[in-house]
Amino acid sequence: MKDFEIFDISGDVGVIAFGRDLQEAFVNAAKGMYSLITDPGTVEERTVIDITVEDNSLEGLLVSWLNELIFYFDTYSFIGRKIEVNEFTPTLTLPPRGGGKGEGEGEGEGDKIASQPTYKIKASIRGEEFDQQRHEGKLLIKAATYHKLKVEKINGIWEIHVIFDI
Amino acid sequence: MALEKLRRIDDTKIEVPLDYKPGMRVKGIIYVDAILEKALEPQSIEQVANVATLPGIIKSSMAMPDVHTGYGFTIGGVAAFGLKEGIVSPGGVGYDINCGVRLLKSNLRKDEVISQIKDLITVLYSEIPTGVGSKGKLRLKSEDERRLLLKGAGWAVEQGFGTAEDLEKMESGGCIEGADPSLVSDKAYERGKAQQGTLGSGNHFLEVQYVDEIYDEHAANSLGLFHDQITVMIHTGSRGFGHQVCTDFIQVMARAASKYKIELPDRELVCAPFESPEAQDYLGAMKAAANYAWANRQCIMHWTREAFMRVFHISPGKLGMTLLYDVAHNIAKVEEHQVNGEKMRLIVHRKGATRAFPPGHPELPEIYRKIGQPVLIPGDMGRASFVLLGTEKAMQETFGSTCHGAGRLMSRHQAIKKAKGRAIWREMEDKGIIVRATGRGTLAEEMSEAYKDISNVVDVVHKAGISRKVARLRPIGVIKG
Repeated sequence: MKDFEIFDISGDVGVIAFGRDLQEAFVNAAKGMYSLITDPGTVEERTVIDITVEDNSLEGLLVSWLNELIFYFDTYSFIGRKIEVNEFTPTLTLPPRGGGKGEGEGEGEGDKIASQPTYKIKASIRGEEFDQQRHEGKLLIKAATYHKLKVEKINGIWEIHVIFDI
Repeated sequence: MALEKLRRIDDTKIEVPLDYKPGMRVKGIIYVDAILEKALEPQSIEQVANVATLPGIIKSSMAMPDVHTGYGFTIGGVAAFGLKEGIVSPGGVGYDINCGVRLLKSNLRKDEVISQIKDLITVLYSEIPTGVGSKGKLRLKSEDERRLLLKGAGWAVEQGFGTAEDLEKMESGGCIEGADPSLVSDKAYERGKAQQGTLGSGNHFLEVQYVDEIYDEHAANSLGLFHDQITVMIHTGSRGFGHQVCTDFIQVMARAASKYKIELPDRELVCAPFESPEAQDYLGAMKAAANYAWANRQCIMHWTREAFMRVFHISPGKLGMTLLYDVAHNIAKVEEHQVNGEKMRLIVHRKGATRAFPPGHPELPEIYRKIGQPVLIPGDMGRASFVLLGTEKAMQETFGSTCHGAGRLMSRHQAIKKAKGRAIWREMEDKGIIVRATGRGTLAEEMSEAYKDISNVVDVVHKAGISRKVARLRPIGVIKG
């Protein structure tokens, strides 16, 4: 199993991340995203940040998680290398929606969302301050989007598709 | 998809009929000629149709000839909604709120600049922060930032960046009323502190150009443009500040859409009724971000003037570098339009589209009231950019809107593949264009072939009569992120 792949859409770029569990897929989505910003091999583990993100849907959690990392990069120049998840709740083994409309883009389940448990990820990320002298600046990512977003389990492997606004 | 359902209306536009997709409240109109129709992505058509399903949409869901697939809305999209029954959608504005363009003109001629263009570009590149991970020269305290969000470009002028005269020559005077800094999240404040006065990356740029062709002498004269005149174009927006505002409100709007039971064909179209608190809060924050962008372009313009004075050792008077105009191309605004012979106030979303108001429009500054609003259309870094004017026909057909740029043709990776083994900077230099970019990949991604030919795009809007060509500008030096 690869950690992630980069894919291409007109004007922007996406990441397909894989994981034996959701937690791993979330970590790999973040790694994939960092690889769009700079070469991960050049990033050293000098500092650590702790992040907690909550949302009321799994897709929402993923987008908020990546947007939080984008926020740390764009605001404090923090670029991560090693990601350790300390808490991931609920730990799901099945897609959260009971096989309903599949690609329904979240529509129609608004009322359900409110009563669903809160999804939460707590992580420590080791990395350093981005330095234009040492790190190649590749893409400036504005945000993670819901465009064609997918979080699904295929043949026992979790797969995340997420597209970034560049 | 039901591509065969598309109907060509005339040489410059096609119709996406009501039965293209269930739920469409109005038809779609895409401004493309036969050439650009070939580059039309099926997904963009789908997005035009999706926008047509939104509540309160008026007349039609439109796309300009530089259309390409975006998130929810297409890039190059124009959609207006009634204030009573209509909606506001952050996706109809985009992540880069008030991304826009300004054009500076000067007293210099091409032959006075060309011998020193390398020095000039080097100085500009060192004076104007660009690229991924760059920090600006300004560090805003929260109180400064709050004032900036209220005053827009006026804040920059107060800090000594430019003059009050500049403010007259900007869309909305460089400051849109109704910005509410209290609706902006702490995160957006934080993200905006070090990014004021920065160019950014991607397709943002600063370009030194010259006027190489004039299509309308009279109009060019009125705008103070002449052959071989040096101009500078600045393309950037509200940077991380605006991206954060959009990110925050996509979340708010997702909840709002389900609260107000708005059916959406695509989650990126999340929206709320215009009169709802969610929509009003978004607009208050969006306007703050729009003002951040106008201040940003003002700061960069000021450093550009300084760089020119330094390199050419001339006084501000001799340089004569004044603002021609500044336009937003990612914004939502309440405007008055005629609908079926009646005056209506509408919330017009322009995402990758430029306002193009006609002569006589009360929102235009005095100096342009007679000829119409200048429309500034950047092309890719190797070809050309254009100055156009707004028209009455734009007012009638497109809520006073036109195209905003060339529009991508290739994805970033396709472009990088195509550029493999080539030195794009040298190819550009051979064409007489000096380029400096921070990112190694940027030049490949942004090379001319990755874009539609801007001339085709501009010809469509000119022929369609939704703006008219005045002059063409050619680049001689470019800085990019």
